[in-house]
Amino acid sequence: MAERNAPVILVEHLRINYGRRVALCIDQLRFDRGECVGIIGPSGAGKTTLLRAIKGYVRPSCGKIEVLGLNWSTCDRLARRRVQRRIGLIFQQFHLVPRLTVLQNVLCGRLGSTHRLKSLFGRFSAEDRQVAWRAICEVGLQEQVHQRADTLSGGQQQRVAIARVVAQQPEVILADEPVSNLDPVLGAEVLSLLLDVTKHHDATLILNLHQPALAKRFVNRVVGLRDGKIVYDDVPSRLTDDQLQEVYRGYEPTPLYRDDSTAGRSMAMVGA
Amino acid sequence: MSGAPAIVRFVTNMMPPDTTGEILAIGWQSALLTLQVALLGTAIGGLFAVMLGLLAANNLTPEWVHHPLKVLLAIMRSIPVLVLALLFVGAVGLGPFPGVLAIAIHSVGNLGKLFADECETAFEGVWEAMDSAGANWWQKVRFAVWPQVAPQIVSLTLYRLEMNIRESAVLGLVGCGGIGFYMTLYQRSFNYTRMCTMVLVTMVIVLAVDQLSVQIRKRLT
Repeated sequence: MAERNAPVILVEHLRINYGRRVALCIDQLRFDRGECVGIIGPSGAGKTTLLRAIKGYVRPSCGKIEVLGLNWSTCDRLARRRVQRRIGLIFQQFHLVPRLTVLQNVLCGRLGSTHRLKSLFGRFSAEDRQVAWRAICEVGLQEQVHQRADTLSGGQQQRVAIARVVAQQPEVILADEPVSNLDPVLGAEVLSLLLDVTKHHDATLILNLHQPALAKRFVNRVVGLRDGKIVYDDVPSRLTDDQLQEVYRGYEPTPLYRDDSTAGRSMAMVGA
Repeated sequence: MSGAPAIVRFVTNMMPPDTTGEILAIGWQSALLTLQVALLGTAIGGLFAVMLGLLAANNLTPEWVHHPLKVLLAIMRSIPVLVLALLFVGAVGLGPFPGVLAIAIHSVGNLGKLFADECETAFEGVWEAMDSAGANWWQKVRFAVWPQVAPQIVSLTLYRLEMNIRESAVLGLVGCGGIGFYMTLYQRSFNYTRMCTMVLVTMVIVLAVDQLSVQIRKRLT
């Protein structure tokens, strides 16, 4: 079996339960190398659970999930850690170290592959620094390289987070709502950067999104989740409004204010 | 209230403070010893407090590690420094050494708890981000926790030092030497003017260190 044809991620008959609640229930799902996939769905649909299951942070209750050739249910801890190092994660809240500089934050991406003891003293190898610098250039933050992360804007911080993942040199990049904290224009820019970076490093990108419009614009495959099940798995162009309704159908938005007739306030909806 | 005239008499007996060169020299040297005891005790205590405080944080270590440690730290700080010093003087004899031990142990208990509290403030996100990059426990502590708690740790240690200097002055009462020893010596031998000098020297040193500490802590954040 040629390595190129083996799926990067393979999910079969996967069930993940949190107590009584079924968080994920997927019969067949496969991601191939180089794909850029957007996962959409309402809150609670299981998008984050799926991403964490791929990363190996959540154990399947039953079924199989195989990432980079390793079955999460049957592998030992050491093998799991080794494969997890090849999977990068980007978070909605960035999760940078606020008091460290951009460079130091990006160097943290090398922690899994550099000399452990030396890193504790802040010493990274010349190769680490080169990789970090190249990553910083890729996201366009050369000027801010010695600036503290908590002095940067939201968009810049997410770009540092992207650089940190690039420095990790992963084969799979998972992004959990990476642009939900950014305004739409900035979000589109950051997504575009994320995709460029993924293609440049020949990685596979799986992206949770709250904004179907962004998904349609940027990815080459959309997976729609609803109540833990896949309700759409196709190219973005076939994602019609009806299909979208299917994904978000019957979703009860949480009312922000009570419908208090005496006060005359209207229900505001927390949107999808 | 019947003690009021006695107090007045006591205070007038103390005045004016004895400022002869010999007494001032004694005051100065013993104050230096007191300072050294406090510094050494705080340094040793601070070092162990950082190690134990980290391990005692409930978000960084498993239950069987952080729970007993928290109990240990509580015990260490519940015994007053004076009592600890008494115990150690009994164990190792008179001198500054038991004073250093007493201050160190009490500081570990005190600072250790404060450090653990600092570490417990939410780091979960950054901790997970480091884990995602492949970091082990030590690297996660070094990069996700340490940069954020370091300023507070230094600040808290300096604050503890201020208090330890005051404690150290008092420890002379139980045989640890330093200015506390001379204060009680002169008090018991009715040399109130000399005792007054010792008290004033102590005040000056404590105030000076307080001020210095405030200045340093201002520059920390």
